[in-house]
Amino acid sequence: MNALKSEWLKLVSVRTTWGLLGAMVLIEGLAAGLVTGLGDIEDLRRGNVATFIIGTHLATVFMFTLGALLSTNEFRHGTANSTYVVTPKRERVVLAKLAVGLAVGVVGALLYIAVNAGLGLSILSSRGVVVDADTAVNGYVGVGVGLVLGCLFGVALGSLLRNQVLTIIVGLVLFLLAGTVALFIGSDVGRYFPGEALLALQNTPSVDLLSQTDGGLVLAAYCVVLGIAGMIFTRQREIT
Amino acid sequence: MAEITVQRLTKRYGETLAVDDLSFTVQAGRVTGFLGPNGSGKSTTMRALLGLVRPTSGRALIMGRPFAELSDPVRAVGAALDAHDVHPGRSGRAHLRTIAAAAGLPTSRVDEVLDMVELTPARDRRVKGYSMGMRQRLALAAALLGDPKILMLDEPANGLDPQGMRWLRDILVRLAGEGRAVLISSHVLSEVEQTVDSVVVIGAGRLVMQGSLAELVKGDRRPALVRSPRAAELRELLEDAGASVASDGRRDSMHVHNASLEEIGTLAADHGIPIFELTHEVTTLEDRFLELTGEGGNVR
Repeated sequence: MNALKSEWLKLVSVRTTWGLLGAMVLIEGLAAGLVTGLGDIEDLRRGNVATFIIGTHLATVFMFTLGALLSTNEFRHGTANSTYVVTPKRERVVLAKLAVGLAVGVVGALLYIAVNAGLGLSILSSRGVVVDADTAVNGYVGVGVGLVLGCLFGVALGSLLRNQVLTIIVGLVLFLLAGTVALFIGSDVGRYFPGEALLALQNTPSVDLLSQTDGGLVLAAYCVVLGIAGMIFTRQREIT
Repeated sequence: MAEITVQRLTKRYGETLAVDDLSFTVQAGRVTGFLGPNGSGKSTTMRALLGLVRPTSGRALIMGRPFAELSDPVRAVGAALDAHDVHPGRSGRAHLRTIAAAAGLPTSRVDEVLDMVELTPARDRRVKGYSMGMRQRLALAAALLGDPKILMLDEPANGLDPQGMRWLRDILVRLAGEGRAVLISSHVLSEVEQTVDSVVVIGAGRLVMQGSLAELVKGDRRPALVRSPRAAELRELLEDAGASVASDGRRDSMHVHNASLEEIGTLAADHGIPIFELTHEVTTLEDRFLELTGEGGNVR
């Protein structure tokens, strides 16, 4: 419980946290407003949920970065020394970071949904476009879970790699590039990459992707495996 | 029982031997200086004591136990390893609150230690605006949070101005006076010679000596400076007696090794040679320290 409180304080006591959440809300609001406000009305009528739930990949990258900072700031700024002297049972620290990542992930997801639904759906409604409630709920659940898992992915990967720049670069490659490249060269493996699993979870229409549920499960599995590996590594490796 | 016991500690990083069969103890109620050039293994030894690195062999014990086995590590040891170990975007108070929370200590304790290190006026400022001296104070405040029995500070005087040095000296002497064991490392003896009661000197990861400051000086082999109008004659007599003599470029003076002041004076008197000056070379504790640790030759 002490470690949890400490990790929460670490998160909320730096401006970067608020900056990332704020930037995500701003970009998301702008994107949702522009697409629903200026988009072709027929396209919007015909469109599925992906037409108005937009900017999700970018939002997930923001949440991933927030999670990665939670872990890697310790090594970037040398606070790992005091952290692990005060809490010698190091796996507790990683667990606390994952729990805080989960919490801030939920906050980020709720902010995203509030902005997107609040702005996007009201503009659509004012333009006379009726959105199917089931489709919308399904879409938002996928996006919300994706944002939470993206944040957890960042915490777990960061605890494994420690280096801040490396963690963010590896994360960006995994989320934005690797799966697309694999799919492009025709491999079936591509759909299991984090970025493609995220797209599936977000209900992106594509024949190449897993189902929404499977996408979520694959992404969650990544988080669990990386989280456990991060705990074992943190326990075993030296703090130098 | 010693508060800190290092027993035949060896730490190897690949090909590099950082600490080599090092043994020493640190007692309560004293300020012990842990001295050695940069790269001599001081920080690695402290990290081994704090459980942050694993010894390759040997033991590093706090109150007779490895750090990981302490029931209440925060109240046993307070450590400040590097004044830069703080997120620059956090305020000093927020930084301490994160540590206090992990240790299960109340926020009121944070304010107490901020007061002790005289940082209260700057407590809500972000650390990126702190001077080096303020960062050192913040690091000390973090180490004091748990009111620990042992304080371990790595280069706490680094970057301090003269007032800061005096302040640090006073607070460390006071803390040791309260019965704590205080271990402070430094690569510059003059920074700590007025603060420490005893010293552990290491070079290239090995123990060079452990003892009081007086013992550090006792092993002194400073040469004698002799000035005489019959220096050449005296030189011959001294060399015949087994001393080694070096000229300092002046005709009437010389440096004499391996002979005490008494022996030189007596020899001169026996031969009726007048002596104008007979004294030890002016050397400092620092010279002695450099002599022991190899004057930077151990830096890896």
